[in-house]
Amino acid sequence: MIGISTGSAFALVGIGMVLIHRTSGIVNFAQGTFAVLGGLFMVRLVDDLPSGLAGLVTVVIVANIGALMGLIAVGIRGRTTALASLIITLGLALVVSSLELLKFGDRPHTYPAVSEHAWNVQGVVIQPQYALVVGVTIAASLLLALALRRTIVGHALVACADSSRAAELVGLNVRTLAMIAFAVSAGLAALGGLLVTPVVPVNYDSDVAIAVNAFAAAAFGGLGSIGFAFVGGLVLGISEQLVVGYIDPQYNLAIALVIMLVLIGWRSRHEAVT
Amino acid sequence: MSALLEVDELVVTYGPAVAVDGVSLELKEGERVALVGPNGAGKSSLLNAICGLVKPAAGRVRVDGRDVTGVAAGRIVRRGLTQVPEGRQVFPSLPVEANLLLGAYGRDFRREPLLATLRYLRRRSAIGERLERVYALLPALRELRARPAGQTSGGEQQMVAIGRALMAEPRLLAIDELSLGLAPLVVQNLSAFLRKLNEDEGVALLLVEQNALLAFELCERAYVLEAGRTVLSGTSAELENNELVRRAYLGGGLEVEA
Repeated sequence: MIGISTGSAFALVGIGMVLIHRTSGIVNFAQGTFAVLGGLFMVRLVDDLPSGLAGLVTVVIVANIGALMGLIAVGIRGRTTALASLIITLGLALVVSSLELLKFGDRPHTYPAVSEHAWNVQGVVIQPQYALVVGVTIAASLLLALALRRTIVGHALVACADSSRAAELVGLNVRTLAMIAFAVSAGLAALGGLLVTPVVPVNYDSDVAIAVNAFAAAAFGGLGSIGFAFVGGLVLGISEQLVVGYIDPQYNLAIALVIMLVLIGWRSRHEAVT
Repeated sequence: MSALLEVDELVVTYGPAVAVDGVSLELKEGERVALVGPNGAGKSSLLNAICGLVKPAAGRVRVDGRDVTGVAAGRIVRRGLTQVPEGRQVFPSLPVEANLLLGAYGRDFRREPLLATLRYLRRRSAIGERLERVYALLPALRELRARPAGQTSGGEQQMVAIGRALMAEPRLLAIDELSLGLAPLVVQNLSAFLRKLNEDEGVALLLVEQNALLAFELCERAYVLEAGRTVLSGTSAELENNELVRRAYLGGGLEVEA
């Protein structure tokens, strides 16, 4: 069960990566950092505000940080290459991570789950928090997929991914749209981070592990599909818990890397054939 | 009255390479004008500089007498000049109708996406009417409305690209390489459509074309570009009968190699 909930969180972060990659061609390695920020802000806010409101405020704050990061990564003129942008996101992730260390210290942080009372469904113990993570992930994925397919802003985001040149020609502002993508993705990552924090405490340096896992989840669909990223996240979360439970907890992150490498190898062979 | 589009000694450079070397041209409301020339003559660079995709190194671009040199592509669209890019460049994963609607949304889009979306929603009924108008002009698109644009034929994609441009209600439609990669019959149909569009709706045309025959047939006037400069200009009839043009572009027999 813990695997499914961490997997869902990876999926949320990974879906954000898919969104950014689809709109701007950038692989955003700061996604892990957004998740950590989500967790840390939530821990800070949850004492003063009702938890639902605290979550909302957290997501909005991190989304704004995301938009700012998007602006820097894409560049004022919107002409930065995707590779340069990727490196900028890595650099910014390091900066934010150091700021987190200064502000929150090097201890892991957590806050109480929605309810300590577990449900017992035919002998399987289900923590409400796990159900919450999974439910929110499914809802967020569906909403995002729907928004991309049905709304004009969603269409504009997809248009940027299809041909940024043509998007510019019809009058769309590619930089603004990239910032929207970054903001939404950061919000999703923050949501994933804050939901999973009661289950897996969050630390300033959790971002690398989250980013690698989320990237592996996103790579399931070749960084292009929300549905596949969702499935990828679940597969990862569950297989990692199996490894932790039956083999050795130290191989936790290695699994993500192995899955990712196998997938990339398989995809590139697949693409070479077709 | 000032011309719809005035280009004055425009220079476009890419690093040390000079693509457009001081070209001037003029286009009046409702006119059909072509830019003809071989590959690499600077036609597309000139067009992209006019449309705000590249910043010119020198020279001026004016629409209705107002200076728009080097402004963003979106602002040019709002001034009434829309480009149909080379190679169509439709949005392949979006349905045809979404491609068209983005043409209208893009016109409203400035820096702030929220206001742009509100403007778009407020104008929705007007945009719906515009969409109907475009479907009436290009009935084939109505049939294809739900199909991803990437899954349509080259000629259909050219129609999608033209329809998308028309959604912005342009007074001047600039088309980069209309005939590129399309079957002759398809090109003929598109050409007939553009002429009708120009005559019935008064939309001016700026056609960038390697196929000089098509350009002279469709347009009233043309400029011949070579190596970034205007080497000839005049009415299509004059140019068609020009010995140089005949030899270089219209296949004047066996010396066509030159």
